[in-house]
Amino acid sequence: MRALAINVRLFMEGALLSYVALFSWLQPVAYLASKVFMPLVQILFWTMLGTFATGRANASFFIIGNAVQLAAVNGIYGVTMSVGGDRWAGTLPYLFGTPANRLAMFSGRAFMHVIDGMLTVVMGLAWGVLLLGLDFSQANLVGLALAILITTFSTSGLGLLLGCVGLVSIETMFINNTAYVGLLIFSGANIPLAALPGWMQSISWALPLTRGIAASRALIDGASLGSVLPLLGGEVLLGAVYVLLGYSLFRWVERQAKRSGKLEGF
Amino acid sequence: MNPIEVEHLRREFKTHIGVIRRKAKTVVAVDDISFAVSPGELFGLLGPNGAGKTTTVKMLTTLLIPSGGTARVLGHDVDRDPEPIRKRIGFIFGGERGLYWRLSGIDNLRYFASLYHVEPAVARKRIAYLLELVGLGDRGKEKVEGYSRGMMQRLHIARTLLHDPEVLFLDEPTIGLDPVGARELRHVVRDLQAERKTILLTTHYMFEADALCQRVAVINKGRIIAMDTPQALKGHVSDLSVVEVEVFGLPPDVLERVRGMPFVDTVSLENLDSRQWMRVQTRRGAEAVPDLMAAMSGLRVGRVVVREPTLEDAYVRLVGGEA
Repeated sequence: MRALAINVRLFMEGALLSYVALFSWLQPVAYLASKVFMPLVQILFWTMLGTFATGRANASFFIIGNAVQLAAVNGIYGVTMSVGGDRWAGTLPYLFGTPANRLAMFSGRAFMHVIDGMLTVVMGLAWGVLLLGLDFSQANLVGLALAILITTFSTSGLGLLLGCVGLVSIETMFINNTAYVGLLIFSGANIPLAALPGWMQSISWALPLTRGIAASRALIDGASLGSVLPLLGGEVLLGAVYVLLGYSLFRWVERQAKRSGKLEGF
Repeated sequence: MNPIEVEHLRREFKTHIGVIRRKAKTVVAVDDISFAVSPGELFGLLGPNGAGKTTTVKMLTTLLIPSGGTARVLGHDVDRDPEPIRKRIGFIFGGERGLYWRLSGIDNLRYFASLYHVEPAVARKRIAYLLELVGLGDRGKEKVEGYSRGMMQRLHIARTLLHDPEVLFLDEPTIGLDPVGARELRHVVRDLQAERKTILLTTHYMFEADALCQRVAVINKGRIIAMDTPQALKGHVSDLSVVEVEVFGLPPDVLERVRGMPFVDTVSLENLDSRQWMRVQTRRGAEAVPDLMAAMSGLRVGRVVVREPTLEDAYVRLVGGEA
Protein backbone atom coordinates (compact mmCIF):
# COMPACT_ATOMS: atom_id res chain seq x y z
CA MET A 1 0.00 0.00 0.00
CA ARG A 2 2.85 2.34 0.89
CA ALA A 3 4.55 1.53 -2.41
CA LEU A 4 1.35 2.41 -4.26
CA ALA A 5 1.09 5.75 -2.42
CA ILE A 6 4.74 6.51 -3.24
CA ASN A 7 4.21 5.76 -6.92
CA VAL A 8 0.97 7.73 -7.16
CA ARG A 9 2.76 10.71 -5.59
CA LEU A 10 5.68 10.31 -7.95
CA PHE A 11 3.29 10.12 -10.89
CA MET A 12 1.45 13.30 -9.85
CA GLU A 13 4.56 15.30 -8.89
CA GLY A 14 6.24 14.21 -12.10
CA ALA A 15 3.14 15.02 -14.13
CA LEU A 16 2.96 18.62 -13.02
CA LEU A 17 6.63 19.45 -12.56
CA SER A 18 7.89 17.77 -15.72
CA TYR A 19 5.18 19.57 -17.68
CA VAL A 20 6.37 22.93 -16.38
CA ALA A 21 10.05 21.99 -16.56
CA LEU A 22 10.27 20.43 -19.98
CA PHE A 23 7.37 21.60 -22.16
CA SER A 24 9.23 24.44 -23.83
CA TRP A 25 6.09 25.90 -25.42
CA LEU A 26 4.80 26.76 -21.95
CA GLN A 27 5.49 30.45 -22.36
CA PRO A 28 2.81 33.00 -23.28
CA VAL A 29 3.87 33.67 -26.87
CA ALA A 30 4.85 30.09 -27.72
CA TYR A 31 1.69 28.76 -26.09
CA LEU A 32 -0.60 31.18 -27.95
CA ALA A 33 1.14 30.43 -31.23
CA SER A 34 1.11 26.65 -30.89
CA LYS A 35 -2.09 26.06 -28.97
CA VAL A 36 -4.42 28.81 -30.17
CA PHE A 37 -3.39 30.21 -33.56
CA MET A 38 -1.82 27.13 -35.13
CA PRO A 39 -5.03 25.13 -34.51
CA LEU A 40 -7.02 27.93 -36.12
CA VAL A 41 -4.77 28.04 -39.18
CA GLN A 42 -4.76 24.24 -39.52
CA ILE A 43 -8.54 24.02 -39.37
CA LEU A 44 -9.00 26.93 -41.77
CA PHE A 45 -6.46 25.56 -44.22
CA TRP A 46 -7.85 22.04 -44.44
CA THR A 47 -11.49 23.09 -44.30
CA MET A 48 -11.06 25.67 -47.06
CA LEU A 49 -9.06 23.26 -49.18
CA GLY A 50 -11.45 20.39 -48.49
CA THR A 51 -14.63 22.34 -49.22
CA PHE A 52 -13.07 23.85 -52.33
CA ALA A 53 -12.36 20.35 -53.61
CA THR A 54 -15.48 18.50 -52.42
CA GLY A 55 -18.13 21.12 -51.67
CA ARG A 56 -19.35 23.07 -48.63
CA ALA A 57 -21.55 20.24 -47.44
CA ASN A 58 -18.45 18.39 -46.29
CA ALA A 59 -17.13 21.22 -44.08
CA SER A 60 -17.89 19.43 -40.81
CA PHE A 61 -15.83 16.41 -41.96
CA PHE A 62 -12.73 18.59 -42.17
CA ILE A 63 -13.47 20.74 -39.12
CA ILE A 64 -14.01 17.80 -36.77
CA GLY A 65 -11.20 15.75 -38.29
CA ASN A 66 -8.65 18.52 -37.83
CA ALA A 67 -9.94 19.62 -34.43
CA VAL A 68 -9.51 16.13 -33.01
CA GLN A 69 -6.22 15.66 -34.84
CA LEU A 70 -4.97 18.64 -32.81
CA ALA A 71 -4.65 16.21 -29.91
CA ALA A 72 -1.35 15.40 -31.58
CA VAL A 73 0.02 18.89 -30.81
CA ASN A 74 0.32 17.88 -27.19
CA GLY A 75 0.38 14.14 -27.77
CA ILE A 76 3.33 14.26 -30.15
CA TYR A 77 5.21 17.53 -29.60
CA GLY A 78 4.42 18.08 -25.93
CA VAL A 79 5.02 14.55 -24.73
CA THR A 80 8.24 14.14 -26.70
CA MET A 81 9.51 17.38 -25.18
CA SER A 82 8.66 16.11 -21.71
CA VAL A 83 10.33 12.73 -22.22
CA GLY A 84 13.26 13.67 -24.45
CA GLY A 85 13.86 16.94 -22.60
CA ASP A 86 15.74 15.15 -19.83
CA ARG A 87 18.47 14.41 -22.32
CA TRP A 88 18.98 18.11 -23.00
CA ALA A 89 18.62 19.09 -19.33
CA GLY A 90 21.31 16.56 -18.39
CA THR A 91 18.99 15.06 -15.80
CA LEU A 92 18.99 11.49 -17.15
CA PRO A 93 21.86 10.24 -14.96
CA TYR A 94 20.17 11.69 -11.90
CA LEU A 95 16.84 10.07 -12.82
CA PHE A 96 18.42 6.70 -13.58
CA GLY A 97 20.37 6.87 -10.33
CA THR A 98 17.23 7.10 -8.19
CA PRO A 99 15.23 4.17 -6.82
CA ALA A 100 12.04 5.61 -8.38
CA ASN A 101 9.54 3.37 -10.12
CA ARG A 102 10.30 3.86 -13.80
CA LEU A 103 6.74 3.33 -15.04
CA ALA A 104 5.33 5.98 -12.69
CA MET A 105 8.16 8.34 -13.61
CA PHE A 106 7.74 7.70 -17.32
CA SER A 107 3.97 7.74 -17.68
CA GLY A 108 3.64 10.82 -15.47
CA ARG A 109 5.33 12.79 -18.24
CA ALA A 110 2.22 12.42 -20.41
CA PHE A 111 -0.51 13.18 -17.88
CA MET A 112 -0.69 16.96 -18.15
CA HIS A 113 -0.46 16.72 -21.92
CA VAL A 114 -3.61 14.61 -21.98
CA ILE A 115 -5.46 17.40 -20.16
CA ASP A 116 -3.80 20.16 -22.17
CA GLY A 117 -4.44 18.22 -25.39
CA MET A 118 -8.15 17.99 -24.57
CA LEU A 119 -8.26 21.76 -24.21
CA THR A 120 -6.60 22.11 -27.60
CA VAL A 121 -9.21 19.89 -29.21
CA VAL A 122 -11.97 21.90 -27.53
CA MET A 123 -10.28 25.05 -28.81
CA GLY A 124 -10.27 23.61 -32.33
CA LEU A 125 -13.94 22.71 -32.14
CA ALA A 126 -14.71 26.19 -30.78
CA TRP A 127 -12.99 27.76 -33.78
CA GLY A 128 -15.11 25.49 -35.97
CA VAL A 129 -18.33 26.64 -34.30
CA LEU A 130 -17.41 30.32 -34.17
CA LEU A 131 -15.86 30.80 -37.60
CA LEU A 132 -17.07 27.95 -39.77
CA GLY A 133 -20.55 27.27 -38.43
CA LEU A 134 -19.98 23.75 -37.12
CA ASP A 135 -23.36 22.42 -35.99
CA PHE A 136 -23.42 21.07 -32.43
CA SER A 137 -27.21 20.87 -32.09
CA GLN A 138 -27.28 17.04 -32.26
CA ALA A 139 -24.00 16.46 -30.43
CA ASN A 140 -23.67 13.83 -27.72
CA LEU A 141 -21.51 16.02 -25.47
CA VAL A 142 -20.76 13.44 -22.76
CA GLY A 143 -19.77 10.89 -25.35
CA LEU A 144 -17.69 13.47 -27.20
CA ALA A 145 -15.83 14.43 -24.00
CA LEU A 146 -15.00 10.77 -23.44
CA ALA A 147 -13.89 10.37 -27.06
CA ILE A 148 -11.62 13.40 -26.79
CA LEU A 149 -10.11 12.10 -23.54
CA ILE A 150 -9.45 8.66 -25.00
CA THR A 151 -8.05 10.04 -28.24
CA THR A 152 -5.73 12.40 -26.43
CA PHE A 153 -4.57 9.52 -24.23
CA SER A 154 -3.83 7.26 -27.18
CA THR A 155 -2.00 10.01 -29.05
CA SER A 156 0.06 10.72 -25.94
CA GLY A 157 0.92 7.00 -25.91
CA LEU A 158 2.45 7.43 -29.35
CA GLY A 159 4.19 10.55 -28.02
CA LEU A 160 5.74 8.54 -25.18
CA LEU A 161 7.15 6.10 -27.71
CA LEU A 162 8.48 8.89 -29.93
CA GLY A 163 9.87 10.69 -26.87
CA CYS A 164 12.00 7.64 -26.13
CA VAL A 165 13.20 7.65 -29.71
CA GLY A 166 14.23 11.22 -28.92
CA LEU A 167 16.40 9.90 -26.10
CA VAL A 168 18.50 7.97 -28.60
CA SER A 169 18.30 10.27 -31.62
CA ILE A 170 19.08 13.90 -32.22
CA GLU A 171 16.44 14.11 -34.97
CA THR A 172 13.57 14.66 -32.56
CA MET A 173 11.84 17.46 -34.45
CA PHE A 174 12.18 15.65 -37.77
CA ILE A 175 10.55 12.58 -36.23
CA ASN A 176 7.82 14.66 -34.61
CA ASN A 177 7.01 16.58 -37.77
CA THR A 178 6.89 13.36 -39.80
CA ALA A 179 4.57 11.78 -37.25
CA TYR A 180 2.31 14.85 -37.08
CA VAL A 181 1.97 15.19 -40.85
CA GLY A 182 1.64 11.43 -41.16
CA LEU A 183 -1.36 11.55 -38.86
CA LEU A 184 -2.90 14.27 -41.03
CA ILE A 185 -2.78 11.81 -43.92
CA PHE A 186 -3.44 8.46 -42.26
CA SER A 187 -5.87 9.28 -39.44
CA GLY A 188 -8.82 10.07 -41.65
CA ALA A 189 -8.79 13.69 -40.54
CA ASN A 190 -8.76 14.95 -44.13
CA ILE A 191 -9.09 11.92 -46.39
CA PRO A 192 -11.85 9.35 -45.87
CA LEU A 193 -10.26 6.04 -44.99
CA ALA A 194 -12.21 4.32 -47.74
CA ALA A 195 -10.40 6.51 -50.26
CA LEU A 196 -7.00 5.30 -49.12
CA PRO A 197 -5.28 2.29 -50.71
CA GLY A 198 -5.48 -0.92 -48.68
CA TRP A 199 -1.94 -0.77 -47.34
CA MET A 200 -2.49 2.80 -46.14
CA GLN A 201 -5.71 1.80 -44.41
CA SER A 202 -3.77 -0.91 -42.55
CA ILE A 203 -1.41 1.75 -41.26
CA SER A 204 -4.35 4.01 -40.37
CA TRP A 205 -5.90 1.43 -38.09
CA ALA A 206 -2.56 0.87 -36.34
CA LEU A 207 -2.29 4.55 -35.47
CA PRO A 208 -3.99 6.52 -32.70
CA LEU A 209 -6.57 9.16 -33.69
CA THR A 210 -8.16 7.13 -36.51
CA ARG A 211 -10.83 5.56 -34.36
CA GLY A 212 -11.13 8.67 -32.17
CA ILE A 213 -11.82 10.92 -35.12
CA ALA A 214 -14.40 8.52 -36.54
CA ALA A 215 -16.10 8.27 -33.12
CA SER A 216 -16.08 12.05 -32.63
CA ARG A 217 -17.69 12.66 -36.02
CA ALA A 218 -20.42 10.18 -35.16
CA LEU A 219 -20.97 11.66 -31.68
CA ILE A 220 -21.28 15.22 -33.02
CA ASP A 221 -23.82 13.86 -35.48
CA GLY A 222 -25.81 12.58 -32.50
CA ALA A 223 -24.73 8.94 -32.30
CA SER A 224 -25.13 7.16 -28.96
CA LEU A 225 -22.08 6.31 -26.85
CA GLY A 226 -22.89 2.62 -27.17
CA SER A 227 -22.66 2.74 -30.94
CA VAL A 228 -19.07 4.10 -30.85
CA LEU A 229 -17.83 1.98 -27.97
CA PRO A 230 -16.01 -0.48 -30.25
CA LEU A 231 -14.12 2.45 -31.78
CA LEU A 232 -13.29 3.98 -28.38
CA GLY A 233 -12.36 0.62 -26.89
CA GLY A 234 -9.97 0.04 -29.78
CA GLU A 235 -8.49 3.49 -29.29
CA VAL A 236 -7.87 2.84 -25.57
CA LEU A 237 -6.21 -0.49 -26.30
CA LEU A 238 -4.05 1.01 -29.00
CA GLY A 239 -3.00 3.83 -26.64
CA ALA A 240 -2.07 1.28 -23.98
CA VAL A 241 0.00 -0.67 -26.51
CA TYR A 242 1.92 2.50 -27.42
CA VAL A 243 2.49 3.35 -23.73
CA LEU A 244 3.88 -0.14 -23.14
CA LEU A 245 6.06 0.03 -26.25
CA GLY A 246 7.37 3.42 -25.10
CA TYR A 247 8.01 2.13 -21.59
CA SER A 248 9.86 -0.90 -22.97
CA LEU A 249 12.02 1.38 -25.08
CA PHE A 250 12.64 3.63 -22.05
CA ARG A 251 13.90 0.65 -20.04
CA TRP A 252 15.99 -0.50 -22.98
CA VAL A 253 17.57 2.97 -23.20
CA GLU A 254 18.44 2.76 -19.49
CA ARG A 255 19.96 -0.71 -19.80
CA GLN A 256 21.81 0.20 -22.96
CA ALA A 257 23.15 3.38 -21.36
CA LYS A 258 24.54 1.36 -18.44
CA ARG A 259 26.21 -1.06 -20.83
CA SER A 260 27.59 1.39 -23.34
CA GLY A 261 28.28 4.32 -21.03
CA LYS A 262 26.48 6.64 -23.43
CA LEU A 263 23.79 7.89 -21.12
CA GLU A 264 23.59 11.26 -22.83
CA GLY A 265 25.90 10.73 -25.71
CA PHE A 266 23.73 9.03 -28.30
CA MET B 1 32.36 -3.53 6.40
CA ASN B 2 33.62 -0.50 4.52
CA PRO B 3 30.93 1.57 2.79
CA ILE B 4 32.90 1.50 -0.46
CA GLU B 5 34.97 -1.52 -1.50
CA VAL B 6 36.54 -1.71 -4.93
CA GLU B 7 38.57 -4.72 -6.10
CA HIS B 8 40.31 -4.97 -9.45
CA LEU B 9 37.65 -2.79 -11.04
CA ARG B 10 37.91 -2.37 -14.78
CA ARG B 11 35.88 -0.61 -17.42
CA GLU B 12 36.50 -0.50 -21.12
CA PHE B 13 34.58 1.25 -23.87
CA LYS B 14 34.23 0.08 -27.43
CA THR B 15 34.19 2.77 -30.08
CA HIS B 16 34.12 2.60 -33.85
CA ILE B 17 36.17 4.55 -36.34
CA GLY B 18 35.12 5.20 -39.94
CA VAL B 19 31.77 4.92 -41.67
CA ILE B 20 32.09 2.27 -44.37
CA ARG B 21 35.07 0.28 -43.16
CA ARG B 22 34.29 0.53 -39.50
CA LYS B 23 37.05 -0.47 -37.16
CA ALA B 24 36.36 -1.33 -33.56
CA LYS B 25 38.60 0.24 -30.97
CA THR B 26 38.69 -0.59 -27.28
CA VAL B 27 39.61 2.10 -24.79
CA VAL B 28 40.39 1.11 -21.21
CA ALA B 29 39.10 3.89 -18.97
CA VAL B 30 39.57 2.17 -15.62
CA ASP B 31 42.23 -0.49 -15.37
CA ASP B 32 42.34 -2.83 -12.38
CA ILE B 33 41.86 -0.38 -9.51
CA SER B 34 41.33 -1.38 -5.90
CA PHE B 35 40.59 0.73 -2.83
CA ALA B 36 38.29 0.90 0.17
CA VAL B 37 36.74 3.88 1.91
CA SER B 38 36.10 3.68 5.66
CA PRO B 39 32.89 4.86 7.38
CA GLY B 40 32.91 8.64 7.73
CA GLU B 41 36.04 9.04 5.63
CA LEU B 42 36.46 11.75 3.00
CA PHE B 43 38.43 9.97 0.31
CA GLY B 44 39.83 11.80 -2.71
CA LEU B 45 40.27 10.42 -6.19
CA LEU B 46 42.68 12.68 -8.04
CA GLY B 47 43.80 12.71 -11.60
CA PRO B 48 44.01 14.72 -14.78
CA ASN B 49 41.12 14.94 -17.25
CA GLY B 50 40.42 11.54 -18.78
CA ALA B 51 42.14 9.65 -15.96
CA GLY B 52 39.05 7.53 -15.20
CA LYS B 53 37.66 9.39 -12.18
CA THR B 54 34.16 9.97 -13.53
CA THR B 55 33.97 6.45 -14.99
CA THR B 56 34.79 5.09 -11.53
CA VAL B 57 32.09 7.23 -9.91
CA LYS B 58 29.55 6.18 -12.54
CA MET B 59 30.23 2.52 -11.78
CA LEU B 60 29.96 3.08 -8.03
CA THR B 61 26.68 4.97 -8.43
CA THR B 62 25.17 2.09 -10.49
CA LEU B 63 25.04 4.13 -13.69
CA LEU B 64 27.62 2.06 -15.53
CA ILE B 65 28.25 -1.69 -15.56
CA PRO B 66 31.87 -2.65 -14.83
CA SER B 67 33.71 -4.69 -17.44
CA GLY B 68 35.60 -6.58 -14.74
CA GLY B 69 36.37 -6.76 -11.04
CA THR B 70 33.90 -5.98 -8.30
CA ALA B 71 32.61 -2.89 -6.56
CA ARG B 72 30.44 -2.94 -3.46
CA VAL B 73 28.71 0.03 -1.92
CA LEU B 74 27.19 -0.45 1.53
CA GLY B 75 27.68 -4.18 1.06
CA HIS B 76 25.79 -4.45 -2.23
CA ASP B 77 27.30 -5.25 -5.59
CA VAL B 78 26.87 -2.28 -7.93
CA ASP B 79 26.02 -4.49 -10.89
CA ARG B 80 23.95 -7.30 -9.43
CA ASP B 81 22.15 -5.46 -6.65
CA PRO B 82 21.85 -1.75 -7.52
CA GLU B 83 18.42 -0.94 -6.02
CA PRO B 84 19.40 -0.91 -2.29
CA ILE B 85 22.43 1.20 -3.17
CA ARG B 86 20.39 3.86 -4.96
CA LYS B 87 18.24 4.43 -1.88
CA ARG B 88 21.25 5.09 0.35
CA ILE B 89 23.67 7.07 -1.78
CA GLY B 90 23.76 10.55 -3.25
CA PHE B 91 25.87 11.79 -6.10
CA ILE B 92 26.63 14.86 -8.17
CA PHE B 93 28.59 15.38 -11.32
CA GLY B 94 30.27 18.73 -11.83
CA GLY B 95 28.77 21.41 -14.04
CA GLU B 96 25.48 23.20 -14.48
CA ARG B 97 23.55 20.38 -16.09
CA GLY B 98 21.25 18.03 -14.26
CA LEU B 99 18.72 20.53 -12.96
CA TYR B 100 15.41 21.69 -14.39
CA TRP B 101 16.16 25.30 -15.19
CA ARG B 102 12.55 26.35 -15.63
CA LEU B 103 11.62 25.16 -12.16
CA SER B 104 12.46 26.92 -8.93
CA GLY B 105 15.11 25.51 -6.64
CA ILE B 106 12.38 24.29 -4.30
CA ASP B 107 10.46 22.57 -7.09
CA ASN B 108 13.61 20.84 -8.30
CA LEU B 109 14.09 19.50 -4.80
CA ARG B 110 10.41 18.56 -4.48
CA TYR B 111 10.59 16.45 -7.61
CA PHE B 112 13.76 14.67 -6.59
CA ALA B 113 12.34 14.11 -3.10
CA SER B 114 9.48 12.19 -4.68
CA LEU B 115 11.95 10.23 -6.83
CA TYR B 116 13.75 9.24 -3.61
CA HIS B 117 10.48 8.32 -1.86
CA VAL B 118 10.76 11.05 0.78
CA GLU B 119 7.40 11.61 2.49
CA PRO B 120 5.94 15.06 1.60
CA ALA B 121 5.92 16.33 5.20
CA VAL B 122 9.51 15.20 5.71
CA ALA B 123 10.49 16.61 2.32
CA ARG B 124 9.14 20.07 3.15
CA LYS B 125 11.23 20.32 6.32
CA ARG B 126 14.25 18.75 4.69
CA ILE B 127 14.13 21.11 1.69
CA ALA B 128 13.97 24.16 3.96
CA TYR B 129 16.89 22.82 6.04
CA LEU B 130 19.04 21.93 3.04
CA LEU B 131 18.48 25.25 1.29
CA GLU B 132 19.74 26.96 4.43
CA LEU B 133 22.66 24.54 4.66
CA VAL B 134 23.84 25.37 1.14
CA GLY B 135 23.17 29.08 1.49
CA LEU B 136 20.13 29.26 -0.79
CA GLY B 137 17.53 29.85 1.90
CA ASP B 138 16.35 33.12 0.39
CA ARG B 139 16.64 32.05 -3.27
CA GLY B 140 14.74 28.75 -3.27
CA LYS B 141 11.61 30.18 -4.89
CA GLU B 142 13.51 31.59 -7.85
CA LYS B 143 13.83 29.72 -11.12
CA VAL B 144 17.13 27.90 -11.49
CA GLU B 145 17.79 29.61 -14.85
CA GLY B 146 18.60 32.75 -12.85
CA TYR B 147 21.13 31.00 -10.61
CA SER B 148 24.89 31.40 -10.87
CA ARG B 149 27.03 28.30 -11.42
CA GLY B 150 27.95 28.24 -7.78
CA MET B 151 24.30 28.38 -6.74
CA MET B 152 23.48 25.53 -9.12
CA GLN B 153 26.28 23.43 -7.67
CA ARG B 154 25.03 24.13 -4.18
CA LEU B 155 21.52 23.19 -5.25
CA HIS B 156 22.99 19.94 -6.58
CA ILE B 157 24.45 19.33 -3.13
CA ALA B 158 21.05 19.96 -1.55
CA ARG B 159 19.44 17.62 -4.08
CA THR B 160 21.85 14.86 -3.27
CA LEU B 161 21.16 15.15 0.47
CA LEU B 162 17.35 15.03 0.25
CA HIS B 163 17.07 11.41 1.34
CA ASP B 164 19.86 11.74 3.92
CA PRO B 165 22.22 9.32 2.14
CA GLU B 166 24.97 7.52 4.00
CA VAL B 167 27.49 7.71 1.17
CA LEU B 168 28.14 10.66 -1.14
CA PHE B 169 29.93 10.72 -4.47
CA LEU B 170 31.00 14.22 -5.46
CA ASP B 171 32.52 14.26 -8.92
CA GLU B 172 34.48 17.48 -9.42
CA PRO B 173 31.91 19.56 -7.54
CA THR B 174 33.88 22.80 -7.83
CA ILE B 175 34.65 22.58 -11.53
CA GLY B 176 33.88 25.82 -13.34
CA LEU B 177 33.22 27.76 -10.15
CA ASP B 178 34.84 31.08 -9.36
CA PRO B 179 37.18 31.06 -6.34
CA VAL B 180 34.51 32.37 -3.97
CA GLY B 181 31.93 29.84 -5.15
CA ALA B 182 34.47 27.02 -4.90
CA ARG B 183 35.43 28.05 -1.38
CA GLU B 184 31.78 28.17 -0.29
CA LEU B 185 31.22 24.73 -1.72
CA ARG B 186 34.26 23.35 0.09
CA HIS B 187 32.75 24.71 3.33
CA VAL B 188 29.61 22.70 2.60
CA VAL B 189 31.69 19.57 1.98
CA ARG B 190 33.47 20.11 5.30
CA ASP B 191 30.08 20.40 7.04
CA LEU B 192 29.04 17.08 5.49
CA GLN B 193 32.25 15.52 6.67
CA ALA B 194 31.46 16.76 10.16
CA GLU B 195 28.14 14.89 9.91
CA ARG B 196 30.20 11.69 9.43
CA LYS B 197 29.04 11.09 5.88
CA THR B 198 31.28 8.79 3.89
CA ILE B 199 32.39 10.85 0.90
CA LEU B 200 34.24 10.01 -2.28
CA LEU B 201 35.40 13.25 -3.89
CA THR B 202 37.03 13.47 -7.29
CA THR B 203 38.98 16.53 -8.28
CA HIS B 204 41.99 17.58 -10.24
CA TYR B 205 42.68 20.45 -7.83
CA MET B 206 45.42 19.30 -5.51
CA PHE B 207 44.88 22.02 -2.94
CA GLU B 208 41.26 20.93 -2.71
CA ALA B 209 42.27 17.38 -1.94
CA ASP B 210 44.90 18.64 0.48
CA ALA B 211 42.36 20.79 2.29
CA LEU B 212 39.53 18.27 2.44
CA CYS B 213 40.60 14.66 2.08
CA GLN B 214 41.86 12.28 4.72
CA ARG B 215 43.26 9.95 2.09
CA VAL B 216 43.92 10.41 -1.59
CA ALA B 217 44.28 7.99 -4.50
CA VAL B 218 46.05 9.43 -7.53
CA ILE B 219 44.66 7.96 -10.72
CA ASN B 220 46.22 8.31 -14.15
CA LYS B 221 45.36 6.54 -17.40
CA GLY B 222 42.88 4.39 -15.53
CA ARG B 223 45.30 3.08 -12.91
CA ILE B 224 45.87 4.12 -9.30
CA ILE B 225 49.51 5.14 -9.10
CA ALA B 226 49.62 6.25 -5.46
CA MET B 227 47.30 6.15 -2.45
CA ASP B 228 48.05 7.70 0.90
CA THR B 229 47.35 10.68 3.15
CA PRO B 230 48.04 14.08 1.55
CA GLN B 231 50.95 14.53 3.96
CA ALA B 232 52.54 11.23 2.96
CA LEU B 233 52.05 11.99 -0.73
CA LYS B 234 53.94 15.24 -0.28
CA GLY B 235 56.84 13.05 0.89
CA HIS B 236 57.20 11.87 -2.73
CA VAL B 237 58.76 15.24 -3.57
CA SER B 238 60.40 16.17 -0.27
CA ASP B 239 63.84 15.84 -1.87
CA LEU B 240 62.97 18.16 -4.74
CA SER B 241 62.72 21.90 -5.33
CA VAL B 242 60.54 23.60 -7.90
CA VAL B 243 61.86 26.23 -10.28
CA GLU B 244 59.04 28.27 -11.82
CA VAL B 245 59.92 30.21 -14.96
CA GLU B 246 57.59 32.71 -16.63
CA VAL B 247 58.33 32.58 -20.34
CA PHE B 248 56.75 34.20 -23.41
CA GLY B 249 56.22 31.88 -26.40
CA LEU B 250 58.01 28.69 -25.38
CA PRO B 251 58.67 26.55 -28.50
CA PRO B 252 58.02 22.79 -28.13
CA ASP B 253 61.64 21.88 -28.96
CA VAL B 254 62.94 24.02 -26.09
CA LEU B 255 60.47 22.37 -23.72
CA GLU B 256 61.71 18.96 -24.85
CA ARG B 257 65.32 20.12 -24.38
CA VAL B 258 64.55 21.11 -20.78
CA ARG B 259 62.78 17.80 -20.17
CA GLY B 260 65.88 15.99 -21.39
CA MET B 261 68.29 17.77 -19.05
CA PRO B 262 69.88 15.28 -16.61
CA PHE B 263 69.06 17.22 -13.42
CA VAL B 264 65.39 17.71 -14.37
CA ASP B 265 62.90 15.35 -12.74
CA THR B 266 59.55 16.55 -14.10
CA VAL B 267 58.37 19.51 -16.17
CA SER B 268 54.84 20.86 -16.38
CA LEU B 269 53.59 23.77 -18.43
CA GLU B 270 50.69 26.11 -17.73
CA ASN B 271 49.54 28.24 -20.66
CA LEU B 272 48.30 31.75 -19.83
CA ASP B 273 47.37 33.77 -22.95
CA SER B 274 50.67 34.90 -24.49
CA ARG B 275 52.90 33.51 -21.73
CA GLN B 276 53.52 30.23 -19.97
CA TRP B 277 54.59 29.12 -16.53
CA MET B 278 57.10 26.32 -16.79
CA ARG B 279 57.50 24.38 -13.54
CA VAL B 280 60.65 22.28 -13.26
CA GLN B 281 61.11 19.81 -10.43
CA THR B 282 64.76 19.25 -9.66
CA ARG B 283 67.08 18.12 -6.88
CA ARG B 284 69.49 20.97 -7.68
CA GLY B 285 67.22 23.77 -6.50
CA ALA B 286 68.48 27.28 -7.32
CA GLU B 287 71.65 25.86 -8.86
CA ALA B 288 69.59 24.62 -11.78
CA VAL B 289 68.55 28.15 -12.79
CA PRO B 290 71.65 29.13 -14.87
CA ASP B 291 71.42 25.91 -16.93
CA LEU B 292 67.71 26.41 -17.47
CA MET B 293 68.28 30.00 -18.59
CA ALA B 294 70.96 28.80 -20.98
CA ALA B 295 68.54 26.27 -22.46
CA MET B 296 66.08 29.11 -23.06
CA SER B 297 68.54 31.64 -24.39
CA GLY B 298 66.98 33.98 -26.92
CA LEU B 299 63.52 33.68 -25.36
CA ARG B 300 61.84 36.42 -23.39
CA VAL B 301 61.80 35.31 -19.77
CA GLY B 302 59.86 37.01 -16.97
CA ARG B 303 59.90 36.02 -13.32
CA VAL B 304 61.89 33.10 -11.97
CA VAL B 305 60.94 31.61 -8.59
CA VAL B 306 62.52 28.78 -6.63
CA ARG B 307 60.27 27.26 -3.96
CA GLU B 308 59.57 24.22 -1.82
CA PRO B 309 57.31 21.56 -3.40
CA THR B 310 53.60 21.32 -2.61
CA LEU B 311 51.15 18.47 -2.83
CA GLU B 312 50.37 19.66 -6.34
CA ASP B 313 53.99 19.09 -7.28
CA ALA B 314 53.78 15.59 -5.85
CA TYR B 315 50.75 15.02 -8.00
CA VAL B 316 52.48 16.41 -11.10
CA ARG B 317 55.42 14.12 -10.47
CA LEU B 318 53.17 11.10 -10.01
CA VAL B 319 51.29 11.69 -13.25
CA GLY B 320 54.50 12.49 -15.12
CA GLY B 321 53.99 16.20 -15.74
CA GLU B 322 50.63 15.78 -17.49
CA ALA B 323 48.55 17.73 -15.01
